[in-house]
Parts: sequence; C-alpha cells; structure tokens
Amino acid sequence: MAIKGGHLVARYLKEVEGIETVFVLSGGHIEAILDGFTEHRIRAIDVRHEQVAAMAAHAWSVYAGQTGVCLVTAGPGFTNALTGIANAYLDNAPLVVLCGKHPLKEDLRGALQEMNQIDMVKPITKWAATCYETKRIPEYLSLAFRYASMGRPGPVFLELPPDILNISIPEEMAPLPKHPTRKYTVHPDDADLKQAADLINNAKQPLFLGGSGVGYSRSGDALGQFVEKTGIPFILMNYGRGELPDNHPQSLWDVGNIGMMLTMSQADVIVIAGLRLNWLLQSGAAIPAAAKIVRIDIDPHEIDRNRRADAGLVGDMTSVLNQLLPLVQKTDRSAWLKTLRAASAAFIESELKARETPSDPIHPIRLAAQIQKVVGDDAYYVTDGGDTVYFGLVHFTSRLRAGVVGTAAGLLGCLGTGIPFAMAAKLAHPDKKVILLNGDGSFGFNAMEFDTMLRHNIPVVCIINNDCAWGMVKHGQELSIGKGRLKCTELDLLRYDKMFEGLGGHGEFVTKDEEIIPALKRALESGKPACVNVMTDPTAMSPASVIFYQALKME
Amino acid sequence: MKFTLLLFVLAHKLKAAAKKNSAYRKHLGIMQLRVLIKTSDDKRGRLFIFDKGTFSSVSGTLHQCDAALIWADAGTAFRVMTSKTGDADTFRAAAEGRVRVEGMVPYLQWFTDGVKLVVGKEVSHGD
Repeated sequence: MAIKGGHLVARYLKEVEGIETVFVLSGGHIEAILDGFTEHRIRAIDVRHEQVAAMAAHAWSVYAGQTGVCLVTAGPGFTNALTGIANAYLDNAPLVVLCGKHPLKEDLRGALQEMNQIDMVKPITKWAATCYETKRIPEYLSLAFRYASMGRPGPVFLELPPDILNISIPEEMAPLPKHPTRKYTVHPDDADLKQAADLINNAKQPLFLGGSGVGYSRSGDALGQFVEKTGIPFILMNYGRGELPDNHPQSLWDVGNIGMMLTMSQADVIVIAGLRLNWLLQSGAAIPAAAKIVRIDIDPHEIDRNRRADAGLVGDMTSVLNQLLPLVQKTDRSAWLKTLRAASAAFIESELKARETPSDPIHPIRLAAQIQKVVGDDAYYVTDGGDTVYFGLVHFTSRLRAGVVGTAAGLLGCLGTGIPFAMAAKLAHPDKKVILLNGDGSFGFNAMEFDTMLRHNIPVVCIINNDCAWGMVKHGQELSIGKGRLKCTELDLLRYDKMFEGLGGHGEFVTKDEEIIPALKRALESGKPACVNVMTDPTAMSPASVIFYQALKME
Repeated sequence: MKFTLLLFVLAHKLKAAAKKNSAYRKHLGIMQLRVLIKTSDDKRGRLFIFDKGTFSSVSGTLHQCDAALIWADAGTAFRVMTSKTGDADTFRAAAEGRVRVEGMVPYLQWFTDGVKLVVGKEVSHGD
C-alpha cells in the first residue's frame, strides 16, 4: 500500500500521539495534510486567523492535558501564527506547530511564499526543523512531540514542504513508532529534599505559591496531600490554578492577589513551585529578604533565578511533592491562616463591598460577581484584557482544573487570547459552561472567531467588559502623562452584541445592574455562541494598572 | 494628639521633600492622588494631596480621597506608624481589626514607598 506524505502526517498524529483535534487555517501548501485529516478522522477546527490556531492549540494543552497541535500554511499563514507561538513559548506550553513551506524544488526561484521561516521562528521555539523526506515524516514528528512535552514544555515548529507531502511512498518505508512520546520524571537529591522539608517543618508562617508547573504535572492529588499535611496556606496561579479547587479551605483565592502579596510580605518560608519569579512578582523583589525560599521547578535554571533559593528541588512537580510528603510533619497552621485571612480582608474591603453593591455605571467587580452568581463554580472562566484580567482572576472561582485562566496575564501579556482559549476550553469540555470575560479592546483582535464558534458549534458565552477603552493603558497614561493628554487609548461605544446577532449568534446589551443576571441567563439558555455586551464604569481601575504603570516607570 | 502631630510632621517632611528631594520628586512624577489617613471615629486625620509633582495636605477626615488608611484608634495608629517593625505591625493590626483600607492598596503602597524615600527607614502603610 502506498501512502501520501500528508496522509502520513495525519496517521502519525492519530495513531501514535492520539491527536483527535487540530486547529487549522487552510492553505494550498498543506492541502495533503488536510486531506489526511479527513482520511484519518481528525477533527480540524478551522479558524479565521492563524494566530488563533496557535493560541487555541496552546490552550488545548491546558484544558485537554495533551500536547496541542496546529497547522498553518506557509508565508503569511506562518507569520500570522508567530504571536501565538511566542505566547506559547513564554508560557511554556507544549505545542506542535505544523507549517507549510514553499516547494523545495522552487527554492531561490521566487516561489510563492518563499521565505526563511526557520530562522524567524527559532528564537521562540524549543526546536524547529524542516523535513526533507517523506519517509522521515514519522521520525520528525516523533522528535517534535518529544521536544514539545519533555522537560520544561514549549512550542516546536516543523516545516513540511509540498515536495514531501504530495508524493506517495510504500507504507513500509515509513513505519510508525510503536509508542507515543514517553513520560518520564526527574528526581531531586535526597539531601535537597531533607533541607526543604526542614525549612517547611520549622516555618511559623509559610506560604505555597504554585504556578503552571503544578498544572502541567497534574499535581492535584499530590499537592492536596502535601498542603493538608503541612497545613500550609497556598495560592495557585496561571495554569496551576484549579489543581486544587479555589474554595479549598487553605486556598487564598478568597483574598485574591492583594491578600497574596500581603501574605508574602509576612511569610517566613515561601515554597515557590513551578512558578517563575518574573515581573508579576516584581522579579522576586516582592519577597522579603528575611524569608527562606524553597524552589521546585522542572528547569534547574529557574531555581536561583531572581532570588537565591535556600533549598532547590529540580524535578517533576508531582514526583517532588510525593517525595517531600513523608518528610514533612503534620502541622496545624490554622491560626496563621486565620490571621492572614483577617489581615487581608482589611485591605480588600473596598473590593469585597463592590461585589455586593449595585452600581451605576456598572463596576467590573460587580459584573464579575454577578456572573459568578449565575454560573457557579462548575464552569471554565477565561478572562482577557488588562484590568479585565485582574477583575476576572480575583472575582471568579472554579472547582475545575484551570477553571479560571487570565489568558493575557502571561509573560507576553498577549491580548486577544481569550477567544481562542475559550473555544479550546469548550471543545475539550463540551459538557461544561465556558464563560469568557473580555475587555472591549482585546475582544477586537480575534472577534471574527465568532464565526468559527458558529460553524463548529462552540457555544461560549462572551461577556464584554466594555469601558470604551484600552483600559489598563489608558489608566497608565492617566498616571504617567496625565488625564488631559490621553493618546490612542479610547474606543467608541460599539454594539458588539449586534455583530454577534448579525452572524447568527445570541446578543445582549446591558447598561444597568439589574439587567446583568437576566441577560446572562438568556445567553446561557440560547445554547448558541453568545455576546453579552456590558457597559461598565470607564473610571474603574484595578490595582494591576498601578503595578503596570510602576513597572514601566524608568526614572 | 500624638497621632495628629505625627501626621502634621509627616506632611511637613513630604512638603519639603517634594521641593528639594530629587528622588522623591521623581517618585511623585505627575501622580494625582489623594490619600487620607484617619481614625474610624473621624475625629483625627489628614489628607495628603499629590497633584502633578506638587504636594499639599489638609487636616480633617471628611475629605474625598482615592485611598484611605483607617485606624480604629489614635493610640494604635501612633504606635504602629512609629514602630520599627513597620509592615509586620500593620499586618497584625489589620488581623486584629484595628486598621483597614478603603480604595486601592497599590495607591497606599505608592504613598508608603514615597515616605520610605523621605524618612529612609522601613515603614508600614501610612508611616
């Protein structure tokens, strides 16, 4: 039997890696792979912009727990995907980007979409390669998946020119590997484990900060045992959020980021697990000098980055926590937990009050609280924007893994990621409600994906926190150059809901507090992709805006 | 009385720094912000006004502000604001319900960071 190169790609994805869903934007160069998807019954979610293909595949890795795959065509398809690839790179997301390429036989002849893609993509991938032989397609794909998922995860890039995709070879020339990418773990040294356990056992006011490494390792069970035995208060961020439910008695999400920062300032031992000390934590400066630090990370380079660790444990999170468990003592730290909760509450009184108080114009905190009231915690919440991300992250709670994700809160600060993430969440978990709280500015980047939602029946409810502005940048300008000199940060009052309706979805327009809940209920009951366009207070600013302004102040 | 005097002295120092201390002047930038420090019974307090690089202040408690630090009583306020262990004492007072914040914490942090530049020691919110 002969098999075409493009079909071989699809067969590998399906039979070796178990890939059922790929995010795609079609193109002539990749036609044979698309046909292979039909042949091998792979669901191809075809989107309207290649950056969405990359972002949604990245999100698939978060929500489905499987390496995400996207397929884009050469040239502009490739360049359009770059933002999504860069975002995955800075988020350490396992992503395989399959990309078309101009025909090898036309190289240097001015072929359509001829360009050096590899050199452009190398700085934002763990691995990038071109496959030159049809029979080596399985070998290259196997390498790609290994690089994407092993060690610290990240995106990889594989170019497949039509010269190899559009020709057929005997199947026996390209046997598929018998196994998918192997799972393996690395373990820290016993002495390091003991040192870490001693610090934790002797701590009076400890804190556990978990990041995406907790999520990628699926550490929920191990972490649950660890925090319950040690009594340590914790907060899980990024893709680690939801490994234990937000309403866990030791989770600090009830006091939010402010509570976390306040607690950090008073902690004597901080366990930082699968979390980079980047600008969001003031590159470590937010941690008091006297605090002892235990770092756990799959990447040894992170252990002492931005703050020297007193104990460093390199390894897979679940494995490390399981090894620590017998070494840590059962400790009652309820008094510490009670104290930090009480102290934090005194600092977030205004936010807590805003949740319960109807406001005109609507305050975004009140909006988030009302959404939560209707939707509950058995749902996926995605939040995208500037201040909008803060309001969503702090005021939504979920009991699901990655149940609350602030897509623009990563290192790239990549607005426009909310829609692709929400789509991927719904595709991975069709039985769950998926709520997207989107700033009106960030909504514009990928708004046309509403068409994708309709074509593929992805009923996400998108709630727009509409302050008619690029809010965080506007508020930053107010602080830095003054309210009278705002530049390029204001938007008009647009009826995004009408746009959704025009395309065939459900639209709601909300201007009053009492309209929020009925509009949300109608949107959820419609069963369609829906937009609830909520006019909110344009003066409402989150603490994140002040931090953003401070971070960029250079004098 | 000691608390009222403390706020007055702090305002005096900030006013001088806003004119002469280059590090503090850079910190102020063009920030427009009104920070109120007061007791919860509204008997004692002072408003600190930052307006595009200038600083002024007025006594009293019934002022509009962007952020407020509200102490349960003047004694606690004075003790914590003059303590050597700064933030830890504020944290403890907050846990005991003797101080609370209205408005955004980062504003108070900005205010406190500025005070640290002027008085040059570890201080708590509102020192």
